[in-house]
Amino acid sequence: MANSNLPRRIIKETQRLLSEPAPGISASPSEDNMRYFNVMILGPTQSPYEGGVFKLELFLPEEYPMAAPKVRFLTKIYHPNIDKLGRICLDILKDKWSPALQIRTVLLSIQALLSAPNPDDPLSENIAKHWKSSEAEAVETAKEWTRLYASGA
Amino acid sequence: MGISWSGRRRNNYLQNPPPVPPPLPPPPPPLPYYSPEPPLPPPPPPPPATATNFAFASATLSSYPAPPNSVYSPNPPPPVHAHYSTGPYGRCNQPNSMMGRYNYQPFYANQPNWWPPMRPPPMGQAPLPPQATPPPYVEHQNAKKVRNDVNVHKDTLRVEVDEHNPDHHLVSFVFDALYDGSITILYFAKEEPNCKFLPQYPDAFMPVRIPFQKGSGQKFRQPSGTGIDLGFFELDDLSKASPGEDVFPLVICAKTCAPPHSEDGHVNDPMQDASDNMQITQAVLEKRNTESFQVKVIRQILWVDGVRYELRDIFGIASSSVEGFNDNDPGKECVICMTEPKDTFVVPCRHMCMCSECAKELRLQSNKCPICRQPIEELVGIKINNDDQ
Repeated sequence: MANSNLPRRIIKETQRLLSEPAPGISASPSEDNMRYFNVMILGPTQSPYEGGVFKLELFLPEEYPMAAPKVRFLTKIYHPNIDKLGRICLDILKDKWSPALQIRTVLLSIQALLSAPNPDDPLSENIAKHWKSSEAEAVETAKEWTRLYASGA
Repeated sequence: MGISWSGRRRNNYLQNPPPVPPPLPPPPPPLPYYSPEPPLPPPPPPPPATATNFAFASATLSSYPAPPNSVYSPNPPPPVHAHYSTGPYGRCNQPNSMMGRYNYQPFYANQPNWWPPMRPPPMGQAPLPPQATPPPYVEHQNAKKVRNDVNVHKDTLRVEVDEHNPDHHLVSFVFDALYDGSITILYFAKEEPNCKFLPQYPDAFMPVRIPFQKGSGQKFRQPSGTGIDLGFFELDDLSKASPGEDVFPLVICAKTCAPPHSEDGHVNDPMQDASDNMQITQAVLEKRNTESFQVKVIRQILWVDGVRYELRDIFGIASSSVEGFNDNDPGKECVICMTEPKDTFVVPCRHMCMCSECAKELRLQSNKCPICRQPIEELVGIKINNDDQ
């Protein structure tokens, strides 16, 4: 069974996520796999994603916390650092991972990425190009996608 | 009461070459983490008895960010005295600790099962020079505890105008002392071997020595009329150490004379007879767009039994030092397992963030400090509440 031998750290992190959730972020473990989390992040205010509710999945691999969690957007999002499969370009999920980081800090970083798209380190070439050539227009598209795909429900 | 660690092993290695002459001359010093220290007086091999006139020990506490008294002795005076009752000289928990010191073993609490292939238990011989091992070598050892009998709270150090003598400044600070002793205030004092300090301009200010009585949390204020006219010096000179970092504008020497005899009149440890303990605080004086001088402490030195230690802050230790480990206190737990109390810090960045097991585990996977990602050169374990009660 997947939940036996769950490290204490994962249990503690889960408890703390549930008892003291970070503002605008919720994460709850799946019942049949405590390493799999259903995540929701609210679009930050004053970003093109404001008003949106973004679903993500987060998985803690066997090596966690020595290895980073795997995180992916399930909600479609127009963002230069997130591709159409929902994969996220974020250094702390790759080479800048540290075992001192946690689920909470990872999700806060993703929330911050929504506030600060970085088209110079793109995952979606096209969106990044759009962002750099005409930011206002790209922001409009992002808002539109937020309305279309992330309106809650 | 306090903890420190030192680069003695390396220094000793340099100055007391191993008995068997190595084929090559002794290697140059490894990257000195313990920053520019003047050459240590080689602690005379076995009994140093009268190592010098100075066989001092003193405080480490203020080197940590937390309020000094809370750091290693959560209930300041009583436990500390109890703790000292086994012998007034910071005798170590282990009967052979002095042996340990004099056989080039800075960390006598080594756990042999830590990094066994890397660190053979040194039994009285000089350890291998660090260069003898491949680059990713990381030492993992336990910190040695050094007790301090006197501690100047470095964040309380001030210079104030003498109200009866407005051209002159007086030094004030808060300190703890387990024994009676004296404070010596020096300006532009140069560090000489054996932790002696010589004023460079005795004409401008002769060192002032003021006796004190034991007690913790005492406020020290230099008596009116014994102050210094700082106008005598250039602001620029007051604001920095000499290039070699051996002369500091302000040097406070806090020294205790531990009673040489125990209550029954017997010498507790003949090797430590007549030893004094000393803590030196070196500071600069800055005047930043203000009328008054700001004191900035640059370094604190500990002189214990003829060994010089430099005191450094350990980041994240404060939260661990308070009594008891509550399973739900994020400040004390290892950042990796979030379960065990953290007891290991990383050198050189001095982040105390892991338990020893996770530190071991981390080293198999990474060479970076979990907190700052700086390369790990060494891991040092600290036991905080246990073995000196």
